[in-house]
Amino acid sequence: MKTKLLFLIICLMPFAIKAQSSSNTCSAADAATHITSGGTYSITSFDGTAPAPGCSPGSIASNGEWFAYTPANDYQVTISSDIAGNDGKDTKLQVYNGTCAALNCFANSDDDGVDVYSRLSVVQFVAQANTTYYIAWDNRYDSSAFDFELTETTLQPISFTEQSRSGGGTLRGAVDMNNDGLDDIVSIVPKNVNDSNVYDINIQEQEPNGSFTGHDYPVSAPYSASWSLAAGDYNGDGYNDLVWGNGSGVNIIKATNSGTDYAIAETQSGIFTQRTNFVDINEDGRLDVFICHDIAPNIYYMNEPSGLEYYQGADPNGVPEGLGIYPSGGNYGSVWVDYDNDGDIDMFMAKCGGGTARRTNQLFRNNGNGSFTEVAAAANLADPIQTWSGAWGDYDNDGDMDVFIGGYNGTSHKMMRNNGDGTFTDITATTNLGFFTYTGIDNVTADFNNDGFIDILSNGNILVNDGNPANMSFTAYTTDVPPQGAIGDLDNDGFLDVASGSKIYYNNGSPNNYFKIKLNGSGLNKAGIGARIEITTSSGTQIRDVRSGEGFRYMNSLTTHFGLGVDTNITSVKVYWPSNTVDIMNNVGVNQTITLSEGSTLSTQTEVFAEDLTLFPNPAKSTLYVRTKYNLSDAIYTVFDISGKRVLNSKFGRENTVNVSSLSTGTYFLRVMQDGLSHTQKFIKE
Amino acid sequence: MTKNYSCLIGLLLFVFACTSCSEDDNYVQVQPTPTSPVSLNLENVPYSNLSEYNFFEGNMADLTPVYGVLPYKITSGLFIDYAKAQTFVWMPKGSKANYVNDHSILDFPDGAVLITTHYFENVLPEKNRKMIETRLIIKKEGEWVLVNYKWNNEQTEAVYTTEGSFVNVKIEDNNEAKAVNYKIPSYNECFTCHNKYDEILPIGLKPQNINADFTFKDGVKNQLKKWAEFGYLETSNIPAEIVSVVDWADVSQPLDLRVRSYLDINCAHCHSDKGYCEYAPMRFSFKDTEDFANMGVDVEHNFELEGDLSHIIAPGKPEESALLFRLKSTLDEYKMPIMGRNLQHKEGVQLIEQWINSLEK
Repeated sequence: MKTKLLFLIICLMPFAIKAQSSSNTCSAADAATHITSGGTYSITSFDGTAPAPGCSPGSIASNGEWFAYTPANDYQVTISSDIAGNDGKDTKLQVYNGTCAALNCFANSDDDGVDVYSRLSVVQFVAQANTTYYIAWDNRYDSSAFDFELTETTLQPISFTEQSRSGGGTLRGAVDMNNDGLDDIVSIVPKNVNDSNVYDINIQEQEPNGSFTGHDYPVSAPYSASWSLAAGDYNGDGYNDLVWGNGSGVNIIKATNSGTDYAIAETQSGIFTQRTNFVDINEDGRLDVFICHDIAPNIYYMNEPSGLEYYQGADPNGVPEGLGIYPSGGNYGSVWVDYDNDGDIDMFMAKCGGGTARRTNQLFRNNGNGSFTEVAAAANLADPIQTWSGAWGDYDNDGDMDVFIGGYNGTSHKMMRNNGDGTFTDITATTNLGFFTYTGIDNVTADFNNDGFIDILSNGNILVNDGNPANMSFTAYTTDVPPQGAIGDLDNDGFLDVASGSKIYYNNGSPNNYFKIKLNGSGLNKAGIGARIEITTSSGTQIRDVRSGEGFRYMNSLTTHFGLGVDTNITSVKVYWPSNTVDIMNNVGVNQTITLSEGSTLSTQTEVFAEDLTLFPNPAKSTLYVRTKYNLSDAIYTVFDISGKRVLNSKFGRENTVNVSSLSTGTYFLRVMQDGLSHTQKFIKE
Repeated sequence: MTKNYSCLIGLLLFVFACTSCSEDDNYVQVQPTPTSPVSLNLENVPYSNLSEYNFFEGNMADLTPVYGVLPYKITSGLFIDYAKAQTFVWMPKGSKANYVNDHSILDFPDGAVLITTHYFENVLPEKNRKMIETRLIIKKEGEWVLVNYKWNNEQTEAVYTTEGSFVNVKIEDNNEAKAVNYKIPSYNECFTCHNKYDEILPIGLKPQNINADFTFKDGVKNQLKKWAEFGYLETSNIPAEIVSVVDWADVSQPLDLRVRSYLDINCAHCHSDKGYCEYAPMRFSFKDTEDFANMGVDVEHNFELEGDLSHIIAPGKPEESALLFRLKSTLDEYKMPIMGRNLQHKEGVQLIEQWINSLEK
């Protein structure tokens, strides 16, 4: 079913007979040269001491032969006499750890041969680096000479333990619903009323001891969560609301009574719902709702003080150009991501089906004034590849968001590296991902092994980032990993787990460190959806966007997780809030979860920026030049009109200029901002 | 699967010969050709109400066609949650459809209207008939237009709608009570199955799907012959033999032909070149499925679904066949067809299961 990927397994298996010869006792083997790598080893005769009875069944042998084995790394080890040349022989094997004075029986094998002969012996075990294992063969059944093979296989760097979960329904989310800082499990449960189904919510709340307490919330929503669910607190009461839908419609469900109940806020029929998101589309501080439409232009609800306002396609009162207006749709996976690092959130749309025009992926650049421009062609992302989702993240930790475009149904995947200038380059060839041919609908980033490089959960496979920024290469793990599901920390141990179907797949962890941060916004957008978080350690800088709804189907934790590798200190944590506030914390400890309230670090900031700013010519016609002693290459400029409305927003990049030719005549303010420090100057457009 | 068409040509020649001699003799009184009372002004379609087209006479819900509205039947019927379908065709006076090939929609003239009504029989508790929707596909300026009418509760009128909606009915079918949450598709949903790269097309009216006998008012006749007789079909380029589907429910037919016919009518509109789901590897058109690989036989299943599915169709192993899993499922995220089916089609599932079991492992 899944393609077996041979390159996963690095076999260290030279076939030459190794020099280490057998010893007559455990202590003699210990004193002799240990086996330290895989190979073929020989027993030429049986004249040593037989191992004591008890480690393997059967009566004692007259003689035994001993080896000591000390691996250099952790390995999956196989010791086998079931190899060519041993046909008809009858071997018996014991493996110990501990010391020769106090041997601990670890593994044994008598008649386990499969390949060559059934009376031969095979054991398999996980060996730890620099631990000595004693291998003892005896002649209980056969004293003839033979060779055996010791094979070392590198261990999968990630592993999971599968457990059944409580609560039924369609599992869609792993996200904190009761505000205790722990991720809960959200499922949508059908209920038959008058011969047709309506849908309730089941939330399994994670308790501090790791157990779950279930709650059912009868909301009788008309549409199932077949295709996706997203969570976000759009009304600012501190509790996540939900949006989910199916092929017939979409529901928005709001938390009421401090999250102790849920009620229908909006429903809309005739929507073929795909990916859903909560996101502040027009940057008014209020989360809006975005819904991909499979068979028509995309829909969105603008969150106004009067309530949620429904829009489809282009609308002067909504998004003037719309956000994906192809008449017959083809919209599958929207990810809201600041791809150009200008502080406002853009949107990538994964498209599939139909002619080239319908299925070409789109990238909507946020103009900072409520309008969006489709720039996929200029960015080199206008690809008709056929995809249901792109996994966005900074795979090479160079400070900008790259994207893995997940192929659908046999089309090959692509890795597009962000060049930092608004364009992307196809680097699939260097990533080793050409070997990974399993395709599907859901691709999402997460650092599963906490090594400080984000991995990809791709349709129930984990593509582990090799941590090689130059090539951005990956190793695909296709077995013993979770199916696609909702990603969160479901035992609060700092390692990301996956909830899927009726199971939780707990990450077994690694020695690596982690850091988690939960945001507490000062306005209505409490979870800081759309915020950029940047941490710096001695290994470098990592970035994340706080997202509601990525990949295709699931809602992942809103608590942002970073793996840190062996780093034991975080030099700085910077949070770029959607409001433009920037919080900075220095020297933060690892292996903890912190909650950061918006603006809470501002009083400690004393620096100034661009206070010497001058603008010329003023009045300006087309190009406004900005002069300052500060380096503006990472700074963001924002132009406001006299009413305070944002009309332009961008990074400066290489040139200290602002193109004002699109502005109408009048008075404007230019704000220059970096790391939350800013300076504003008035100018006139003529 | 091929049917002899030559008799039709012969019959036409005979008719032509008779007409000639009557003209010569001048004895037989020729009846004036009746005029169809159907009212179709392409400028004004879609009309607000179905009755305005005047397709039916008497009680509209009885679907008694007026002169010019010909009933037809698709040989292998689409599953529509156990609803029934009655289909009719109408064309403006003097215009006719042209044969393209066995597996392509007939080339219809402007003004042609395909009329499909979905209704339920044996609606509980009174076991009566309930009309649900009448779908029209109208050819206008060389392009097809999709129009849908929803029947009122009184069953006296059907009203134009572009919105999707659900109609709950309880029916008795095969001695079993079934609760149906029937979906009237929205315009966008209609379009999804009825387009090839945004060009709107009918689905059923291919020669291969209607090359069969039908009981007309005046007797049993091959439908293509009837159309030709009535002047609705140009016959000059129709081959003697038409590769035709069979009725999937006809157990006297070979199993593989029944399966291919079933998959054609239920799946091929999306799973074909330029279809909504052309990006999946299956090609379910009857013309393509002589090669079983196009149905997914022995084709590895490379897509995350529930369960241990190895192939799209694993010969001899229904439990490993993704196609059967999807046909069985009633969950939106797994079920196929993705639209138009909310219940499991037990008889269809049985057919496919029987067939997969019959394939050599």
